[in-house]
Amino acid sequence: MKPTIHDNNPSYAEATGIKWLVYEMVDHLWPWSKEGWRHHKAIQTAGLALAVAATVAWGLAASGKLGASAVIGWWLGWSIYEIVIRLQCKPYIKDGPWWGHHYRPAGRMDMICYVMFKNLLIGAVLFIVLRNLGLLQMVN
Amino acid sequence: MVLIRRYFIFALCFSVSVLGFSVAALADSEKSTDHAVQEHHPSEGHPGSYEAPLPVELSTNPDLCAYVPCHDVFPNADYFSPRKGRPSYVEAYRNKKHGQLENGHHEDADSRELIGYAFLSTDIVDIPAYSGKPVVTLMGMDVTGKIVGVKVLRHSEPILLVGIPEGELTKFIKQFVGKYAWDKLEIGKARAEGGYIGIDAISGATVTVISENQVVMRCAYEIAKQVGIIKAVPRPQAKFTSVLAQYSWDALLAEGSIQHLMVSPSDVGMNNTGKPYIDLYFGYLNAPAIGRSILGERNYDGLMAELKPNEHAIFIIANGAASFKGSGFVRGGIYDRIQVSQDMDSFTFRDTDYRNLYSIKATGAPEFSESAIFIIRSTSYSAAYPWSLVFLGNKMDKQTGTKTFANFDREYWLQGRYLEGGRPVVVKAEPVWLKIWKSRIWQIVAFTAILIFTAVIYANRDWLVRRSSRKDKRWVSIPKYAIWLASIGFIGFGLMAQPSITQVLTWFHSMLFQWKWELFLSDPFIFIFWLFIIISVFVWGRGLFCGWMCPFGSLSELFYKIAGKIGLKRFQFTPNSVLHERLKWLKYGIFWGLLAVSFFSMGLAEKLAEIEPFKTTFLVGLFNRSWPYTLFTASLLGLSLFTERPFCKYLCPLGAALAMPTTFRWFGLKRKQECTTCSACAAGCGSLAIDKQGVIDHRECMLCLDCMILYYDDHACPPLSKERKLRVKSGLPLTPINAAGYYIPIYPVPLKGTDE
Ligand code: SF4
Ligand code: SF4
Repeated sequence: MKPTIHDNNPSYAEATGIKWLVYEMVDHLWPWSKEGWRHHKAIQTAGLALAVAATVAWGLAASGKLGASAVIGWWLGWSIYEIVIRLQCKPYIKDGPWWGHHYRPAGRMDMICYVMFKNLLIGAVLFIVLRNLGLLQMVN
Repeated sequence: MVLIRRYFIFALCFSVSVLGFSVAALADSEKSTDHAVQEHHPSEGHPGSYEAPLPVELSTNPDLCAYVPCHDVFPNADYFSPRKGRPSYVEAYRNKKHGQLENGHHEDADSRELIGYAFLSTDIVDIPAYSGKPVVTLMGMDVTGKIVGVKVLRHSEPILLVGIPEGELTKFIKQFVGKYAWDKLEIGKARAEGGYIGIDAISGATVTVISENQVVMRCAYEIAKQVGIIKAVPRPQAKFTSVLAQYSWDALLAEGSIQHLMVSPSDVGMNNTGKPYIDLYFGYLNAPAIGRSILGERNYDGLMAELKPNEHAIFIIANGAASFKGSGFVRGGIYDRIQVSQDMDSFTFRDTDYRNLYSIKATGAPEFSESAIFIIRSTSYSAAYPWSLVFLGNKMDKQTGTKTFANFDREYWLQGRYLEGGRPVVVKAEPVWLKIWKSRIWQIVAFTAILIFTAVIYANRDWLVRRSSRKDKRWVSIPKYAIWLASIGFIGFGLMAQPSITQVLTWFHSMLFQWKWELFLSDPFIFIFWLFIIISVFVWGRGLFCGWMCPFGSLSELFYKIAGKIGLKRFQFTPNSVLHERLKWLKYGIFWGLLAVSFFSMGLAEKLAEIEPFKTTFLVGLFNRSWPYTLFTASLLGLSLFTERPFCKYLCPLGAALAMPTTFRWFGLKRKQECTTCSACAAGCGSLAIDKQGVIDHRECMLCLDCMILYYDDHACPPLSKERKLRVKSGLPLTPINAAGYYIPIYPVPLKGTDE
């Protein structure tokens, strides 16, 4: 287990209760940071554009105008971008149980696993909701 | 040594290329058969029926036998009629006069005699097999109800493609020949009670054979009933109570006296339009309270006056893109989109069974675009028992354009308060998965006990490693070796419950497209194993499954250990760290590659998943497969004699899939400050999971616990050993070692009375 490097901890690591949970949730959904923004403006801007595109893709899917494979394609593209941007802006991941407050610096593979897994869960939830509402055109 | 290392790299490359070759050969052979099929007959000359292409017209063309080899199930027939009836079948005739006929279709009907019926499973039932897709089966039955031929035209069962030879399936279906449509067949030994006839299963393909048994027997029964071989059995009729109140639509809907059935466009393989394909409500009208509420007093009395004893009326109203009356309905014909089923019996409607329904009297009824009253005229139907309204649809496969029969049903059971004496006791048929669980209960108990034992042992690892030392690891190794043996012998070879990457791919698809619990429940061992794997990966990481429980992983490491003990130790080696660091990514690439391919073709992904030697090892047997598979598996096991778990480290896509969530395991292994500079653990880590900074890569770690033994071993862990020597030298006591891996510190206690 890597010893926790406190420099890499998110600023909210010491927060507690609901406040900490909210911070955690925002952290999972928002890959950028102010610090990263200053250093990588171009890549951040491109990313924001990609995020908008991915959101539009989900929106189109929700209105029944986009097929399942197109959504998967967009989501995968976004996930790859998120890995890159997180490595620059939020290069840490949770270490130990999810309810704990330990974080560790993330290697490339850590970040790939984190983003892919998190986005798989988010994607699956959105997918299932849209499908049950009968909005998604299934490829299968 | 150098030679062996070269052999290692060579063997790894060789194994991969052998596999590539075999998959290519497999794909090639398929290509050529596909070609043959298109050139000649849809099914003739097709040795393998896995995903065999079927003509698009198969489900719709009246001339069924122009598209399927009816002669294979009725070799002595000279003529087959066009499709008839609902569900459809064709009649098989033999010429009374002998001699070759030029054109059977124009032969005089008097010169032929009816010898039986041929029918296609997908015209009659909608029962998926393990793959979630039906096994398309052609059957023949003679005029006495005896099954005379069964032929599988197409299946999508991966296990029959890559595991069990297809000849096994042929052998299995031959068992139906000679059985009668009303026989009760069961997989396995015949049961003494209930008149069941036992038929042999295909080991390793239980789900496939159970569903195929249902398909064949259900189809034969349906057709035998339709053509009059099986006579209708009367059911005790319902007697209604005198509840006379009238109810609103919502009240009837809430109590279940009106049922709702909706089919969306995606259910029938069409694009979503925002409108349901069909959205219908239905109910039983004979019960006075319901009939009066729906039709009004006068109409109800009129309808009941018209009905003879044992005749029943139901109503249907509907909206949506499709019509339940069907566009092809002509006067004198059968309504082919709707039927009522009760247990094994089904009831269809003709135009004479139809009555107009102009309006619904119950307040709050929805608008509708189509409506009808249908009359069921059979003593086999009884309103006292549950029945279902079935909407018969066609599901289109977007990729191939073929249509398969798909039905959608909703159960209806009259409320007890409308029935004298309440609802009768009904013993419902058990779902297939439950039958499988019950039939293997003792094995399930033993299997679960092994899993729990493993989890308990590992949860107490601290206790075990503290009692062990680098020189004597028995506290850890004895339970681990016992678990390995159980895993290889009982779980692997006995239960054939080796988890596989194909299951992960199936989940991805099911999660995104259609989740069917029955599909996963149908293999109890794999289901329970995956529950265990998912939980243990998140709690401890993949190491508990891979390092302790995976049948192939255990076999591979056991080979390595035995080879070491029998004098091959001097040939054993560990790949150098640079090479290892590069090669370990290969398995992740394989996993992502398989996942990507599966989105385009699940069949191809399943073939490529042959990179796992699991089927060859446990399901089929090393010497029961074609040589490339045997050679590939043998090379991997051979390599395992010289280096620890080469397949797990570099190739296993399942290991990679489990390694990724291991990033989030809750409880990792312990490290102390000095681990960053000491490489003692790293030198002993067979999985090469500890880097130069002493950091454990939990994705690669097999949880062998060697480093944990060292962690507490004051004769082996360098900082601890140093401290021990210091304490011994200065005469200080050796206090117990704490959870952080150090002797409990000794603080001098100030003497009483001395100045603070
Ligand atoms: S890496 Fe693969 S073969 Fe090895 S133990 Fe894990 S799942 Fe089994
Ligand atoms: S020595 Fe430690 S790090 Fe290496 S495999 Fe065993 S438990 Fe894992």
